[in-house]
Amino acid sequence: MDNLNLKKNNKNNKDNLNNENKMVENNLKNKIIEENEIYDDARKILADALLDLGNKYNNVVYISMDSSAGASGTSFKQAFPQRHFEFGIAEQNAIGEAAGMAISGKIPVIAAYVPFATYRPFEQIRDDLCKTRLNVIIIGNNSGFSVSALGPTHTVLEEVGILRALPNMTIICPADGVEYKQVLEVALKVKSPTYIRVSRIKAKRIFKDEHKLVFGKADVVKEGSDISIVATGTMVSRSLEAAFELEKNGISAEVISMSTIKPLDEEAIIKSAGKTGKVVTVEEHSIYNGLGSAVAEVLVQNFPVKMKFIGVPDEYAPVGTYEELIDYYSLTGQKITSQVLDFYKSL
Amino acid sequence: MNKLTIDEIKLLTEKSYKCRKNILKMMRFGEAHIGGAFSSLDIITVLYNKVLRHDPKNPKWEDRDRFVLSAGHKCMALYTTLADQGYFEEEVLWTYNTFDTRVPMHPDEKVLPGIEFPTGSLGHGLPVGQGMAHVGKLDRKNYRVFVMLGDGESAEGSVWEAVMSASHFGLDNLIVIVDRNGLQVNGRTEQIMNSNPLEEKYKAFGWETKTINGHNFEEIYETLSSVPFKAGKPSAIIANTIKCKGLTFAEDKYEFHHWHFKTSEIDDALNKVEESCREELCKLG
Repeated sequence: MDNLNLKKNNKNNKDNLNNENKMVENNLKNKIIEENEIYDDARKILADALLDLGNKYNNVVYISMDSSAGASGTSFKQAFPQRHFEFGIAEQNAIGEAAGMAISGKIPVIAAYVPFATYRPFEQIRDDLCKTRLNVIIIGNNSGFSVSALGPTHTVLEEVGILRALPNMTIICPADGVEYKQVLEVALKVKSPTYIRVSRIKAKRIFKDEHKLVFGKADVVKEGSDISIVATGTMVSRSLEAAFELEKNGISAEVISMSTIKPLDEEAIIKSAGKTGKVVTVEEHSIYNGLGSAVAEVLVQNFPVKMKFIGVPDEYAPVGTYEELIDYYSLTGQKITSQVLDFYKSL
Repeated sequence: MNKLTIDEIKLLTEKSYKCRKNILKMMRFGEAHIGGAFSSLDIITVLYNKVLRHDPKNPKWEDRDRFVLSAGHKCMALYTTLADQGYFEEEVLWTYNTFDTRVPMHPDEKVLPGIEFPTGSLGHGLPVGQGMAHVGKLDRKNYRVFVMLGDGESAEGSVWEAVMSASHFGLDNLIVIVDRNGLQVNGRTEQIMNSNPLEEKYKAFGWETKTINGHNFEEIYETLSSVPFKAGKPSAIIANTIKCKGLTFAEDKYEFHHWHFKTSEIDDALNKVEESCREELCKLG
């Protein structure tokens, strides 16, 4: 998109946009739940969704690497023992096997801890799944600080960065239970390798049951005109919390839930940046090569605006509980509020 | 026991040498991994002419036997054999090393019929082949999956993950053939990273095994025709071969793992290969 034209267009259409905003706000009331205190266990939801998928598609197979008990697979393997493959602690073999199965007509769903599902077999993911563009779903469990007590080997904060560099790879990071319920079927229909980033921490419900998770499409979960906050996964509810706090400070923040990190909804980002002129990204991931970088790649080429990246700096996280780590890296609603406020005031 | 007639052995000899000559002609277009292509060619010739259930006119026939060339750099042996079998026109071979060729230095299943899976990075083929074998069992198909590995490649950890897994699952529709030519890029396999004794290793992992001379057509055929060696177990064939077999001045020399002939050397190499072919046919009477 031509930057000048976009700016001009934005100025000319400001009134129209404001009217449009009012309409969207009305729509949002139908989209987001008002009593925002429901928490969902992603693994339980995925277990049911995987079972449904198995019932609906007889070519879905489930692969675990000594990871089935904690990775949503129990119901599936009980219902379809012949379609469950336990490949043990041998991840390169497991991903290669998935490729062999996929090219033979099956749709493998693989679930394991993030580092073992992605880092150990990285070359198999690249060569055997992505280059061949096979329909394989990788569920990366216990993402971000989910198991931060286990230390840096298990606390992986960079995998979106390495995976999004792979051609044909798609990445979905659901924001709440409503999206977790739909994500497997959405991924199955992508017909390309898909990585689903799953947190172990109970997810605060954001969307109403009617919400549809649309692959490659962002969701504006709160309209605003002063600053845009683009968040993904666990950080969407915390960013919403921050946005409501910012309202009290007289700042109208727009919050975009970016559940599909790759391919990115470029149009939604450019549109919001065109409206607010300031963009903050929030992610439970390194600020190197994650959502922030992806959003910046879009904006710097299409509509350059000042940005702030909220996430984890370039370091291995210390050991602690989930909330301790979230607090340590200033990812609580309150600390996101103050970071956004500081950024807003600095401009 | 399946036996080949003398005429069949002669025909296989002629076919494998025709492929060697075609590889040399492809090398008019540049460098190639000639060593492993020549060492594996007799086995691949027997596979496609006598063992595999396949249909060149219907490469995706769902009941076909699968051949996965895990050591993808040996692909010129496969390309020339597939062309000979009629999977595609021989002219495709003469696009080697040209822009966007269908016969690149590592095989690509998207551009060439008969390639089951793209390989190149070592240690990938056996897990993939095993995934195919699992689907065969799951879908109650009778197809077999043959995977060819190199002995240098056998240093990859992923190979042994897959070897352990195949016997765990009792995949008797999976057959490994190790093209054991004893050489790799930088020298003798025994010196770079000794993968010996391979047969004992496979046995220890629960496979049924045989060691053969990978240039003796009768032995290759008899062995490949008798898989699985035991029901409920995967089969491993350690095929002792000679790197660059058939090109006398290059035989058993690691320098010819990968080679770029000068154009003037190609004709000489073609003559040498023709000589080797004649000698072998003479021995057969």
